[in-house]
Amino acid sequence: MTGQATSDRISRSDVSSTYRPSWLARLLSLFSGTGGLIVKIVLLSLLNAMVGWAVIVLFAQDRIVWALGTLAVLGVFDFVYLRPNKLLPAKFILPGSVLLIAYLIVPIFFTINTAFQRYSTSHVLTKAEAISTNIEQNVVQGEKFFLMTPSRDTSGALVLVLVDDTTGQTYLGRESGLEEIDPASIQVDEFGDVVPPAGLTALVGDDLFGADAELAAFEVPLEGGGAIKTEGISGAYDSVPGLEYDLARDVMIATDTGIEYTDNGRGSFVTSSGEELVVGWREYIGFENFTAVVTNPLVRAPFLRAFAWTIAFAASTVLLSFTIGLFLAKLLDKPKFRFKRLYRSLLIVPYAVPGFLSLLVFKGLLNDDYGLINKLLPFDVPWLFDPWWARVSVILVSVWLTTPYFLLVCMGALQAIPGELVEAARVDGAGRWQVFRKVTLPLLLVVVTPLIIASFAYNFNNFNNVFLLTGGGPTSSDQSVAGATDILISYTYKLAFEAGKGQDYGLASAISIYIFFIVAAMSASGFLRSKALENMK
Amino acid sequence: MNDPTKRRGDDWWRHLILWVAIALAVFPPLYVITAAFNADQTLSGTSFLPRSFTLENFKGLFVQKEGGAEVFFVRWFRASIIIALLNAFFTVFIGALSAYAFSRFRFRGRRMGMLFLLLIQMFPGLLNLVAIYLIVLRTGEVVPALGLNKLTALLLVYLSGAMSINLWLMKGFFDSIPTELDESARVDGATPAQIFWGVILPLAVPVLSVVGMFAFVGTLNEFMTASVLLETVDNFTLPLGLQAYISTNFEENWGSFAAGVLIAQIPAIVGFVFVQKYIIAGLTQGSVKG
Repeated sequence: MTGQATSDRISRSDVSSTYRPSWLARLLSLFSGTGGLIVKIVLLSLLNAMVGWAVIVLFAQDRIVWALGTLAVLGVFDFVYLRPNKLLPAKFILPGSVLLIAYLIVPIFFTINTAFQRYSTSHVLTKAEAISTNIEQNVVQGEKFFLMTPSRDTSGALVLVLVDDTTGQTYLGRESGLEEIDPASIQVDEFGDVVPPAGLTALVGDDLFGADAELAAFEVPLEGGGAIKTEGISGAYDSVPGLEYDLARDVMIATDTGIEYTDNGRGSFVTSSGEELVVGWREYIGFENFTAVVTNPLVRAPFLRAFAWTIAFAASTVLLSFTIGLFLAKLLDKPKFRFKRLYRSLLIVPYAVPGFLSLLVFKGLLNDDYGLINKLLPFDVPWLFDPWWARVSVILVSVWLTTPYFLLVCMGALQAIPGELVEAARVDGAGRWQVFRKVTLPLLLVVVTPLIIASFAYNFNNFNNVFLLTGGGPTSSDQSVAGATDILISYTYKLAFEAGKGQDYGLASAISIYIFFIVAAMSASGFLRSKALENMK
Repeated sequence: MNDPTKRRGDDWWRHLILWVAIALAVFPPLYVITAAFNADQTLSGTSFLPRSFTLENFKGLFVQKEGGAEVFFVRWFRASIIIALLNAFFTVFIGALSAYAFSRFRFRGRRMGMLFLLLIQMFPGLLNLVAIYLIVLRTGEVVPALGLNKLTALLLVYLSGAMSINLWLMKGFFDSIPTELDESARVDGATPAQIFWGVILPLAVPVLSVVGMFAFVGTLNEFMTASVLLETVDNFTLPLGLQAYISTNFEENWGSFAAGVLIAQIPAIVGFVFVQKYIIAGLTQGSVKG
């Protein structure tokens, strides 16, 4: 009907030429024709220039696959937009699709992929990177010790004159490397100090102490790994890698003890006694992240607690909001009720204020020490401090935010219920409560049930309400990542992004997928239910 | 029993309950107003009834106090407005382009595409954040302007939602625009692009306004994605900034925070007023024929 009415209006105004497009409409129509063509060419050139530059950077960084992929996307763009009068739908769908794929579909695949990997704070590198990082980080002191005389060459660069403590062999240590020199080129003066060879000036006095920090950071690299490091201002020792990688056998070997660290297939090198090298790498571990939720008690406890609380939070928020909303709607649902419109406008104020602002304000209102609510109450309530009160607070604030929505929904639904049905029940002798229970409520639920399920699904992932009010806190007694009021989604967020206790992307992704299935099941049941209920009518 | 001629006096209990409910509903917003103008700027010093009037709290948002921390309120506000406007504009633009294709062209995969778009929305965007974070991190290594802590990257992530439920809304509205208009324009020699710009879009201003409005307000409210992608306090959007503002110095900053809350509501209200006249038409016309 409405569509018909629109077409009537448009064609009538077209014919009588009284149709006046708004300024916005006239502005929009400027884009058609030649102007549009110019805009198109300019935009396409800009896109080519920018993406082309990115491809060059990608090639320079040796990310060949990514470079080719980006180039292919650019090619698709040019192909679609430069062919006249061909591939029309693609021209219109492409911009949105590219963004959709880049930031929605690729992330979904990425999340699924990550869920099967060990991917956490100490497992972010590739295996090759992890091997070299482990070797770099594990250096042990070697057997040699040198007497050191720090000096500078003519350009001011630091050069260490080194005398081996045991053999008496002499060296010059530069930032570029170690050079062996003839011991005869070095003299020892009457104080026992070393006089460096010609061209070098020994650092003395204030110069020496001023170079303290520079000396501490100075390293002379050795061939075959390791380095000579300074100790104080007059000594130096050689440091050698504590680990070696045996490519053929894929093991790391400790150079001093000979202990072997083998690849455990789960992103780490471990000894037979279970000792692990600190730096691991990303590795596929099958369903371990998924099963950890069931088998690993350290994961299971917080997960189950968060899961139970999520259900309790979403269910009580929705049921309380719906009940209160319906009750208020019923109060207002009376013919010729005074101030009806005023009341309704005032009651939906919480809906009109941006949610994040209300939540932050409630955080202040409920503050245990200074908050206004505790000042108005005759007794102090630990609203956000005590785990159980914090849960109560989260639910109360969520109800405050959600009730206006159900008030509006119920007012509309109540109006839609035919008056004759209520009248008929009354005539048959039913009381007010009976009419409400047996006639009004069932009819209302037909309309409202899908909305209740949708609201439940929404609150199931209502990150803001938890995170902005309590931050998921207070911390639970077992010191896990999940606080007392953490719902699954905020728990996942903390697992992935709050570094305090180590980030675990793999586990976070696995839990994300669990949440997806839960929400999808709820949405599907809501969908089926609304269909089923429609058919009932 | 339900006699409309009944005396009004018997309704006193309804009014009583409703007034209690109203008091609970408007209490926090009213409290923000009094706190914003209260001369005692601390949380503990606030009371529901203001004792004295001041504009100092508003000044505190814009001018750095002597010896106090740097204030970024203007930057947060500007960042939020810019990104919300851009997101609204591009969401409408990209969404309308796609909706036009789905409404006016017949091509293979059209029905599947529409259904797929509905399905994919079921995967809650929030769950993708780990992946989005890593993608943006990697992108930033190649194109720094699209990396972490950049509003441009945040905008692109928001725009991935442009082809969402909005598309269905717009397609429904476009379907209600009679195809005879396209036909006559085509007869006059207009290309599909010209029909889109010259015929469809001008007639679809109501639905475009509504979708733009939702995108605008939604962006102003968005917290989670922004908190993952933006890292330094000078680059924050309003929700992040205000949250950081009171979580660090809760007690002292309360007055200024309340003033900030008052100002932060302005954009959404202005937006609503601006598109108010279109809301009913934009929502109903699209849904009837959807």
